[in-house]
Amino acid sequence: MGRLFLINLEGYIYSCKFCHTHFARVDDIISKSFHCRYGKAYLFDKVVNVIDGEIEERMMITGLHTVVDIFCVSCGSIVGWKYMFAYERTQKYKEGKFILERFKVLGPDGSLYMAAPQDDAEDA
Amino acid sequence: MGGVEDEEPALKRMRLSSYNGSSSVECTVGSSSGLMARPLSAEGEDEVIGSTGIIKRREFVRIITKALYSLGYKKSGEHLEEESGIPLQSSVVNVFMQKILDGDWDESLATLNKIGLHDEGIVRAASFLILEQKFFELLDGDKVMDALKTLRTEITQHCVDSTRIRELTSCIVSPSGLNGLSRRELVRVRTRLKLLEELQKLIPPNVMVPEKRLERLVEIALIFQREACMFHNSLDKEISVYSDHHCGKTQIPSRTLQVDTNGGLSIKHKLCGHQKPVSSASWSPNGQELLTCGVEEAVRRWDVSTGKCLQVYEKNGPGLISCAWLPCGNYILSGLNDKSICMWELDGKEVESWKEEKTLKISDLEITGDGEHIISICKENVILLFNKETNDERFIEEDEIITSFCLSKDSRFLLINLLNQEIHLWNIGDLQLVRKYKSHKRARFVIRSCFGGFRQSFIASGSEDSQVYIWHRNSEDLVDVLPGHSGAVNCVSWNPANPHMLASASDDRTIRIWGLKCLNVKYPNAYSNGNHHSNGGELR
Repeated sequence: MGRLFLINLEGYIYSCKFCHTHFARVDDIISKSFHCRYGKAYLFDKVVNVIDGEIEERMMITGLHTVVDIFCVSCGSIVGWKYMFAYERTQKYKEGKFILERFKVLGPDGSLYMAAPQDDAEDA
Repeated sequence: MGGVEDEEPALKRMRLSSYNGSSSVECTVGSSSGLMARPLSAEGEDEVIGSTGIIKRREFVRIITKALYSLGYKKSGEHLEEESGIPLQSSVVNVFMQKILDGDWDESLATLNKIGLHDEGIVRAASFLILEQKFFELLDGDKVMDALKTLRTEITQHCVDSTRIRELTSCIVSPSGLNGLSRRELVRVRTRLKLLEELQKLIPPNVMVPEKRLERLVEIALIFQREACMFHNSLDKEISVYSDHHCGKTQIPSRTLQVDTNGGLSIKHKLCGHQKPVSSASWSPNGQELLTCGVEEAVRRWDVSTGKCLQVYEKNGPGLISCAWLPCGNYILSGLNDKSICMWELDGKEVESWKEEKTLKISDLEITGDGEHIISICKENVILLFNKETNDERFIEEDEIITSFCLSKDSRFLLINLLNQEIHLWNIGDLQLVRKYKSHKRARFVIRSCFGGFRQSFIASGSEDSQVYIWHRNSEDLVDVLPGHSGAVNCVSWNPANPHMLASASDDRTIRIWGLKCLNVKYPNAYSNGNHHSNGGELR
């Protein structure tokens, strides 16, 4: 593989569960009240070291959104998604922001997250 | 007057030719029909020539005449002056030039005033030059008293530059020289021909046509065409005056010559010793040694001919992340993962360390050709240009995150690769962004780009879509995209000695050598059939 370009963050960081690649800072959390299939998800202002997947329209609890899944650049595991476009005006604030699924990442203290599986499909 | 009527061409021509001082009788009387048949009438004669009418006939003919004389075709020059009726310069100027060459200083000064120059300043400056020459020639002939008299009376009269007068005075006083300059050197400042050249620069060009003016105009046109030629990648002797210069894409490497999977190239040495992945390799200035850097580990110096490791550079604690040679070849520089930069002597003795945010973990390291400036990424979007002698810092700030950079051969430009798939070209001298190159793909890896081609007029880059991208440096146009690799192309290197060869390295574990589609017979061992070249003849 080529030489990965990895951005190193400083401070309290969420990182990849498998390869410990840095994703985002605790300071960049906008909201912790999102949900996905595997439990909690956090909305971040800025996430690094991820690569976009295919663009798709997804119906979520809050309405129809255009999103791309995001993958760790190092190991390729899926870690969340990014909102590209929100159809509902009240959801516009999410555009350009990232969701990291708590189950997929290591917390700032290195902790994993275990959650009871839920019936809902993604998002809040 | 100016018009020459049909009826009496011969007579008029004779009169014009007489003042030139040489008789071109054979050209006028002898020839009958051919040359004189064409009537020259000033009234009907065009003042301007050429399709856009900006060239004045009179000026054009005069510079051609001047060119003929400087090429040594004296007869043709004279003949042209006659036939066109346009003299190269007035008779007064001719007399003036002759006086200078004869060393007839007083007469030449007198003639100078007769030329009719409007600008007093020019007359004074020219007189000063002539008198200076007189002074030096007198000194040289050991006529010191005469020289002194010249200096006192004539030169100070035309006092243009008092410091120069002082210098001249000291020439008399200390013949063995001032400031180490022997009198010989000062006197030999110019021969009379050189004096004439200096005078020509002072006198307005319409009075005395400047030397090599026509050649200069043609050069400007050719250089303009060369700069405008998007695919230009060949030696200057390919440029012809006969037609506008326009290379086809034939001069850009676009064909894979060799795919190295242990085929054409053979392994010379395996350099073992690093415990961590090797992130960069750097040739020594004399080409005999190699520096390699293990990521966050140590830097090793190898002898290329024996394959032995000559020295390991490391520190207790921080790991090394980049390496570079100083151009003198006596010192090694390395960036560390604690953001500092260290300098070692070849034997491993650390001589210098610069702390405080000089580099980043992922940064490259480059030194300018003068050995003074260290270049590295000090913040995610900022490049530091650090003068290690004066500790002076300059910064290039980008809007996006910087992934890698490359310094041009002349150390004047920096090519910066950004996270957002753009490549920016900066002028280091005045810290200006001068060009942007786009189209290639980058999402995960460090992709490198480089300068290349004849006069480094192209930019080449790898790309994650498995292709090599080539742009024309000045116009930012994408010149070519080379498919062939089956994995991301991480790095490209344009052969500095051969502008028609490019190498690329890819995740498909191959290195490709790219060359021209049609090979010239210029290169020995090159065959025009087939993709492979025996003995790697193309590789120098």
